[in-house]
Amino acid sequence: MSVRSIAAVLALLLALVAGPAVAVAQTAGAPAKTRVNAAAGNTAGNQVRHKAGQTKKADKKTEKTSKVMALVFCLFALMCVGGSLFVITRRNLIAAVMGMVGTFFAIAAIYIMLYAHFLAAIQVLVYAGAIMVLFVFVIMILNRPVDEPWSKQGVWGKGLAIAATAYLLYRLGDVLWSVKVEVAGPGPGKYIDHGDFGSTAHVGQVLFQDYIFPFEAVSIVLLVAVVGAIAVARPNKKRETLDNVAGEGGAE
Amino acid sequence: MSNVFFNITYGHFLVLAAVMFCIGVIGVLLRRNALIVLMSIELQLNAANITVLTFARMHNDMHGHALAFIVIAVAAAEAAVGLAIVVAVFRSRHHADIDRLTSLKH
Repeated sequence: MSVRSIAAVLALLLALVAGPAVAVAQTAGAPAKTRVNAAAGNTAGNQVRHKAGQTKKADKKTEKTSKVMALVFCLFALMCVGGSLFVITRRNLIAAVMGMVGTFFAIAAIYIMLYAHFLAAIQVLVYAGAIMVLFVFVIMILNRPVDEPWSKQGVWGKGLAIAATAYLLYRLGDVLWSVKVEVAGPGPGKYIDHGDFGSTAHVGQVLFQDYIFPFEAVSIVLLVAVVGAIAVARPNKKRETLDNVAGEGGAE
Repeated sequence: MSNVFFNITYGHFLVLAAVMFCIGVIGVLLRRNALIVLMSIELQLNAANITVLTFARMHNDMHGHALAFIVIAVAAAEAAVGLAIVVAVFRSRHHADIDRLTSLKH
Protein backbone atom coordinates (compact mmCIF):
# COMPACT_ATOMS: atom_id res chain seq x y z
CA MET A 1 0.00 0.00 0.00
CA SER A 2 2.80 2.37 0.76
CA VAL A 3 4.21 1.88 -2.75
CA ARG A 4 0.86 2.94 -4.15
CA SER A 5 0.74 5.98 -1.93
CA ILE A 6 4.20 6.96 -3.10
CA ALA A 7 3.07 6.51 -6.68
CA ALA A 8 0.08 8.77 -6.05
CA VAL A 9 2.27 11.45 -4.50
CA LEU A 10 4.70 11.20 -7.42
CA ALA A 11 1.86 11.64 -9.87
CA LEU A 12 0.72 14.69 -7.93
CA LEU A 13 4.18 16.23 -8.02
CA LEU A 14 4.44 15.49 -11.72
CA ALA A 15 1.18 17.31 -12.30
CA LEU A 16 2.38 20.26 -10.26
CA VAL A 17 5.60 20.50 -12.26
CA ALA A 18 4.15 19.86 -15.67
CA GLY A 19 1.17 22.19 -15.34
CA PRO A 20 3.26 25.36 -15.80
CA ALA A 21 5.18 23.56 -18.55
CA VAL A 22 2.03 23.55 -20.64
CA ALA A 23 1.60 27.27 -20.19
CA VAL A 24 5.24 27.80 -21.16
CA ALA A 25 4.82 25.63 -24.23
CA GLN A 26 1.78 27.64 -25.21
CA THR A 27 3.41 31.01 -24.74
CA ALA A 28 6.41 29.78 -26.71
CA GLY A 29 4.11 29.56 -29.70
CA ALA A 30 2.71 33.04 -29.06
CA PRO A 31 5.16 35.22 -31.05
CA ALA A 32 4.35 33.26 -34.18
CA LYS A 33 0.70 34.14 -33.79
CA THR A 34 1.14 37.88 -33.56
CA ARG A 35 3.21 37.90 -36.69
CA VAL A 36 0.63 35.83 -38.49
CA ASN A 37 -2.08 38.17 -37.30
CA ALA A 38 -0.13 41.18 -38.53
CA ALA A 39 0.25 39.50 -41.88
CA ALA A 40 -3.47 38.79 -41.98
CA GLY A 41 -4.47 42.44 -42.18
CA ASN A 42 -4.41 42.88 -45.96
CA THR A 43 -6.50 43.98 -48.87
CA ALA A 44 -9.20 41.71 -50.12
CA GLY A 45 -7.52 41.09 -53.46
CA ASN A 46 -4.46 39.50 -51.98
CA GLN A 47 -6.38 37.75 -49.30
CA VAL A 48 -6.37 34.28 -50.76
CA ARG A 49 -2.67 34.29 -51.51
CA HIS A 50 -1.85 35.71 -48.13
CA LYS A 51 -4.08 33.26 -46.44
CA ALA A 52 -2.21 30.39 -48.08
CA GLY A 53 1.12 31.83 -47.00
CA GLN A 54 -0.22 32.50 -43.58
CA THR A 55 -1.37 28.97 -42.97
CA LYS A 56 1.95 27.61 -44.23
CA LYS A 57 3.86 29.88 -41.90
CA ALA A 58 1.54 29.00 -39.05
CA ASP A 59 1.99 25.30 -39.75
CA LYS A 60 5.76 25.58 -39.73
CA LYS A 61 5.76 27.62 -36.55
CA THR A 62 3.29 25.48 -34.71
CA GLU A 63 4.82 22.17 -35.73
CA LYS A 64 7.37 22.22 -32.94
CA THR A 65 4.88 23.45 -30.38
CA SER A 66 2.41 20.87 -31.47
CA LYS A 67 4.94 18.07 -30.87
CA VAL A 68 5.50 19.34 -27.35
CA MET A 69 1.77 19.72 -26.90
CA ALA A 70 1.24 16.20 -28.18
CA LEU A 71 3.68 14.77 -25.68
CA VAL A 72 2.20 16.83 -22.86
CA PHE A 73 -1.30 15.84 -23.89
CA CYS A 74 -0.39 12.15 -23.95
CA LEU A 75 1.19 12.47 -20.51
CA PHE A 76 -1.81 14.15 -18.97
CA ALA A 77 -4.31 11.96 -20.76
CA LEU A 78 -2.49 8.94 -19.35
CA MET A 79 -2.55 10.55 -15.92
CA CYS A 80 -6.28 11.22 -16.23
CA VAL A 81 -7.16 7.70 -17.32
CA GLY A 82 -4.70 6.03 -14.95
CA GLY A 83 -5.86 8.18 -12.05
CA SER A 84 -9.49 7.40 -12.79
CA LEU A 85 -8.75 3.68 -12.91
CA PHE A 86 -6.76 4.07 -9.70
CA VAL A 87 -9.77 5.70 -8.04
CA ILE A 88 -12.30 3.06 -8.95
CA THR A 89 -10.04 0.10 -8.11
CA ARG A 90 -8.81 1.11 -4.64
CA ARG A 91 -9.99 -0.58 -1.50
CA ASN A 92 -8.38 2.05 0.66
CA LEU A 93 -10.53 5.16 0.51
CA ILE A 94 -7.72 7.56 1.34
CA ALA A 95 -5.65 6.16 -1.53
CA ALA A 96 -8.66 6.62 -3.81
CA VAL A 97 -9.00 10.25 -2.74
CA MET A 98 -5.30 10.90 -3.35
CA GLY A 99 -5.59 9.36 -6.81
CA MET A 100 -8.60 11.60 -7.38
CA VAL A 101 -6.57 14.68 -6.45
CA GLY A 102 -3.87 13.70 -8.96
CA THR A 103 -6.55 13.13 -11.59
CA PHE A 104 -7.96 16.59 -10.91
CA PHE A 105 -4.57 18.19 -11.35
CA ALA A 106 -4.18 16.38 -14.67
CA ILE A 107 -7.65 17.55 -15.69
CA ALA A 108 -6.65 21.10 -14.83
CA ALA A 109 -3.65 20.71 -17.15
CA ILE A 110 -6.01 19.48 -19.87
CA TYR A 111 -8.11 22.61 -19.28
CA ILE A 112 -4.99 24.74 -19.73
CA MET A 113 -4.32 22.97 -23.02
CA LEU A 114 -7.82 24.02 -24.05
CA TYR A 115 -7.02 27.64 -23.13
CA ALA A 116 -9.38 27.56 -20.16
CA HIS A 117 -6.94 29.05 -17.69
CA PHE A 118 -9.50 30.46 -15.30
CA LEU A 119 -11.39 27.20 -15.16
CA ALA A 120 -8.15 25.32 -14.57
CA ALA A 121 -7.51 27.48 -11.51
CA ILE A 122 -11.10 26.97 -10.38
CA GLN A 123 -10.69 23.24 -10.91
CA VAL A 124 -7.68 23.10 -8.64
CA LEU A 125 -9.24 25.36 -6.02
CA VAL A 126 -12.71 23.85 -5.90
CA TYR A 127 -12.11 20.20 -6.73
CA ALA A 128 -8.64 19.44 -5.47
CA GLY A 129 -8.90 22.00 -2.68
CA ALA A 130 -12.45 21.89 -1.38
CA ILE A 131 -14.35 18.83 -2.54
CA MET A 132 -11.54 16.39 -1.94
CA VAL A 133 -10.93 17.84 1.52
CA LEU A 134 -14.61 17.27 2.19
CA PHE A 135 -14.22 13.66 1.08
CA VAL A 136 -11.21 13.21 3.34
CA PHE A 137 -13.15 14.69 6.25
CA VAL A 138 -16.04 12.31 5.71
CA ILE A 139 -13.72 9.32 5.37
CA MET A 140 -12.01 10.29 8.60
CA ILE A 141 -15.38 10.74 10.34
CA LEU A 142 -16.65 7.36 9.14
CA ASN A 143 -13.28 5.72 9.81
CA ARG A 144 -14.20 2.42 8.24
CA PRO A 145 -12.16 0.70 5.55
CA VAL A 146 -13.97 -1.11 2.78
CA ASP A 147 -14.12 -4.86 3.03
CA GLU A 148 -15.52 -6.00 -0.29
CA PRO A 149 -14.89 -3.44 -2.97
CA TRP A 150 -16.82 -5.01 -5.80
CA SER A 151 -20.50 -5.48 -6.14
CA LYS A 152 -21.56 -9.05 -5.52
CA GLN A 153 -24.24 -9.27 -8.15
CA GLY A 154 -22.64 -12.39 -9.52
CA VAL A 155 -20.84 -13.06 -12.75
CA TRP A 156 -23.84 -12.17 -14.89
CA GLY A 157 -24.30 -8.68 -13.56
CA LYS A 158 -20.62 -7.93 -13.73
CA GLY A 159 -20.24 -9.32 -17.23
CA LEU A 160 -23.28 -7.42 -18.41
CA ALA A 161 -22.04 -4.18 -16.87
CA ILE A 162 -18.56 -4.55 -18.38
CA ALA A 163 -19.94 -5.50 -21.78
CA ALA A 164 -22.39 -2.59 -21.76
CA THR A 165 -19.67 -0.16 -20.74
CA ALA A 166 -17.27 -1.47 -23.36
CA TYR A 167 -19.94 -1.08 -25.99
CA LEU A 168 -20.73 2.45 -24.80
CA LEU A 169 -17.03 3.30 -24.87
CA TYR A 170 -16.68 1.86 -28.36
CA ARG A 171 -19.65 3.77 -29.73
CA LEU A 172 -18.64 7.04 -28.08
CA GLY A 173 -15.07 6.73 -29.31
CA ASP A 174 -16.24 5.77 -32.77
CA VAL A 175 -18.51 8.79 -33.03
CA LEU A 176 -16.08 11.23 -31.48
CA TRP A 177 -13.13 10.04 -33.50
CA SER A 178 -14.95 10.78 -36.72
CA VAL A 179 -15.54 14.43 -35.80
CA LYS A 180 -14.34 16.57 -38.68
CA VAL A 181 -11.84 18.79 -36.90
CA GLU A 182 -10.68 20.53 -40.07
CA VAL A 183 -14.10 22.06 -40.47
CA ALA A 184 -14.13 23.36 -36.94
CA GLY A 185 -10.81 25.16 -37.04
CA PRO A 186 -7.18 24.68 -36.12
CA GLY A 187 -6.06 22.30 -33.41
CA PRO A 188 -5.64 23.22 -29.79
CA GLY A 189 -1.91 23.83 -30.14
CA LYS A 190 -2.46 26.54 -32.68
CA TYR A 191 -3.59 30.02 -32.01
CA ILE A 192 -6.92 31.63 -32.73
CA ASP A 193 -6.84 35.40 -32.74
CA HIS A 194 -9.04 35.88 -29.70
CA GLY A 195 -6.25 36.95 -27.40
CA ASP A 196 -8.25 36.74 -24.21
CA PHE A 197 -9.99 33.45 -24.89
CA GLY A 198 -10.42 31.72 -21.55
CA SER A 199 -8.97 34.55 -19.55
CA THR A 200 -10.50 35.61 -16.26
CA ALA A 201 -11.71 38.89 -17.73
CA HIS A 202 -13.47 37.17 -20.61
CA VAL A 203 -15.03 34.53 -18.38
CA GLY A 204 -16.22 37.30 -16.07
CA GLN A 205 -17.75 39.20 -18.95
CA VAL A 206 -19.62 36.15 -20.20
CA LEU A 207 -20.65 35.14 -16.71
CA PHE A 208 -21.88 38.52 -15.55
CA GLN A 209 -23.47 39.69 -18.79
CA ASP A 210 -25.02 36.73 -20.55
CA TYR A 211 -25.28 34.32 -17.64
CA ILE A 212 -26.07 36.56 -14.72
CA PHE A 213 -29.30 34.74 -13.91
CA PRO A 214 -27.79 31.23 -13.89
CA PHE A 215 -24.93 32.61 -11.84
CA GLU A 216 -27.28 33.93 -9.18
CA ALA A 217 -29.37 30.77 -9.35
CA VAL A 218 -26.25 28.73 -8.69
CA SER A 219 -25.58 30.79 -5.61
CA ILE A 220 -29.09 29.91 -4.38
CA VAL A 221 -28.39 26.26 -5.19
CA LEU A 222 -25.20 26.37 -3.14
CA LEU A 223 -26.98 28.01 -0.22
CA VAL A 224 -29.75 25.42 -0.27
CA ALA A 225 -27.16 22.64 -0.55
CA VAL A 226 -25.24 23.94 2.45
CA VAL A 227 -28.37 24.24 4.57
CA GLY A 228 -29.62 20.84 3.39
CA ALA A 229 -26.28 19.18 4.07
CA ILE A 230 -26.23 20.54 7.59
CA ALA A 231 -29.84 19.51 8.16
CA VAL A 232 -29.22 15.98 6.84
CA ALA A 233 -25.88 15.32 8.50
CA ARG A 234 -26.74 16.77 11.89
CA PRO A 235 -27.25 14.16 14.58
CA ASN A 236 -30.89 13.73 15.41
CA LYS A 237 -30.91 15.55 18.74
CA LYS A 238 -34.64 15.36 19.21
CA ARG A 239 -34.87 11.58 19.02
CA GLU A 240 -31.84 11.16 21.24
CA THR A 241 -33.32 13.36 23.94
CA LEU A 242 -36.62 11.54 23.60
CA ASP A 243 -34.81 8.22 24.00
CA ASN A 244 -32.92 9.53 26.98
CA VAL A 245 -36.08 10.81 28.57
CA ALA A 246 -37.84 7.53 27.89
CA GLY A 247 -34.86 5.64 29.28
CA GLU A 248 -35.00 7.66 32.44
CA GLY A 249 -38.66 6.92 32.77
CA GLY A 250 -39.75 10.55 32.62
CA ALA A 251 -42.59 11.90 30.54
CA GLU A 252 -41.94 14.28 27.68
CA MET B 1 -0.20 5.34 -36.06
CA SER B 2 2.39 7.80 -34.83
CA ASN B 3 0.41 10.48 -36.58
CA VAL B 4 -2.48 9.76 -34.26
CA PHE B 5 -0.29 10.40 -31.24
CA PHE B 6 1.73 13.32 -32.58
CA ASN B 7 -1.05 15.30 -34.19
CA ILE B 8 -3.37 16.25 -31.38
CA THR B 9 -6.83 17.24 -32.50
CA TYR B 10 -10.02 18.04 -30.67
CA GLY B 11 -11.05 14.44 -31.21
CA HIS B 12 -8.34 13.39 -28.80
CA PHE B 13 -9.79 15.55 -26.08
CA LEU B 14 -13.27 14.24 -26.77
CA VAL B 15 -12.12 10.63 -26.72
CA LEU B 16 -10.25 11.27 -23.47
CA ALA B 17 -13.44 12.70 -21.98
CA ALA B 18 -15.42 9.70 -23.23
CA VAL B 19 -12.93 7.28 -21.70
CA MET B 20 -13.02 9.10 -18.37
CA PHE B 21 -16.80 9.19 -18.43
CA CYS B 22 -16.92 5.45 -19.06
CA ILE B 23 -14.50 4.81 -16.20
CA GLY B 24 -16.85 6.82 -14.01
CA VAL B 25 -19.78 4.73 -15.23
CA ILE B 26 -17.87 1.55 -14.40
CA GLY B 27 -17.16 2.91 -10.92
CA VAL B 28 -20.81 3.77 -10.32
CA LEU B 29 -21.99 0.38 -11.56
CA LEU B 30 -19.44 -1.89 -9.94
CA ARG B 31 -18.37 -0.35 -6.65
CA ARG B 32 -20.34 -0.87 -3.49
CA ASN B 33 -18.94 1.87 -1.32
CA ALA B 34 -21.06 5.00 -1.47
CA LEU B 35 -18.03 7.28 -1.27
CA ILE B 36 -16.36 5.65 -4.26
CA VAL B 37 -19.65 5.97 -6.14
CA LEU B 38 -19.73 9.68 -5.34
CA MET B 39 -16.15 10.06 -6.55
CA SER B 40 -17.04 8.25 -9.77
CA ILE B 41 -19.89 10.69 -10.27
CA GLU B 42 -17.38 13.53 -9.85
CA LEU B 43 -15.24 11.87 -12.51
CA GLN B 44 -18.19 11.81 -14.88
CA LEU B 45 -18.90 15.48 -14.25
CA ASN B 46 -15.29 16.31 -14.99
CA ALA B 47 -15.37 14.31 -18.20
CA ALA B 48 -18.47 16.22 -19.25
CA ASN B 49 -16.65 19.44 -18.43
CA ILE B 50 -13.72 18.48 -20.64
CA THR B 51 -16.17 17.86 -23.48
CA VAL B 52 -17.85 21.22 -22.93
CA LEU B 53 -14.54 23.08 -22.87
CA THR B 54 -13.31 21.24 -25.95
CA PHE B 55 -16.36 22.30 -27.89
CA ALA B 56 -16.01 25.83 -26.54
CA ARG B 57 -12.44 25.93 -27.85
CA MET B 58 -13.45 24.29 -31.10
CA HIS B 59 -16.08 26.90 -31.83
CA ASN B 60 -14.11 29.71 -30.23
CA ASP B 61 -17.08 30.43 -28.04
CA MET B 62 -16.74 31.46 -24.43
CA HIS B 63 -20.24 30.43 -23.40
CA GLY B 64 -19.05 26.91 -22.76
CA HIS B 65 -16.80 28.28 -20.03
CA ALA B 66 -19.82 29.71 -18.23
CA LEU B 67 -21.51 26.32 -18.51
CA ALA B 68 -18.44 24.54 -17.14
CA PHE B 69 -18.27 27.01 -14.27
CA ILE B 70 -21.88 26.32 -13.35
CA VAL B 71 -21.27 22.57 -13.63
CA ILE B 72 -18.39 22.88 -11.16
CA ALA B 73 -20.57 24.83 -8.71
CA VAL B 74 -23.40 22.32 -8.97
CA ALA B 75 -20.91 19.48 -8.53
CA ALA B 76 -19.73 21.09 -5.31
CA ALA B 77 -23.33 21.32 -4.08
CA GLU B 78 -23.95 17.72 -5.11
CA ALA B 79 -20.84 16.52 -3.27
CA ALA B 80 -21.87 18.35 -0.10
CA VAL B 81 -25.39 16.92 -0.10
CA GLY B 82 -24.24 13.44 -1.13
CA LEU B 83 -21.61 13.29 1.59
CA ALA B 84 -24.14 14.52 4.15
CA ILE B 85 -26.47 11.70 3.13
CA VAL B 86 -23.60 9.20 3.38
CA VAL B 87 -22.80 10.46 6.88
CA ALA B 88 -26.46 10.23 7.93
CA VAL B 89 -26.80 6.71 6.52
CA PHE B 90 -23.59 5.63 8.17
CA ARG B 91 -24.75 7.04 11.46
CA SER B 92 -27.94 5.01 11.45
CA ARG B 93 -26.71 1.84 9.68
CA HIS B 94 -23.00 1.73 10.54
CA HIS B 95 -22.08 0.94 6.97
CA ALA B 96 -22.11 2.73 3.63
CA ASP B 97 -22.60 -0.28 1.40
CA ILE B 98 -25.12 0.57 -1.28
CA ASP B 99 -25.94 -3.08 -1.94
CA ARG B 100 -27.15 -3.47 1.63
CA LEU B 101 -29.26 -0.32 1.64
CA THR B 102 -32.40 -2.10 0.49
CA SER B 103 -34.99 -0.94 3.00
CA LEU B 104 -36.88 0.93 0.26
CA LYS B 105 -37.27 -2.30 -1.73
CA HIS B 106 -40.98 -2.99 -2.29
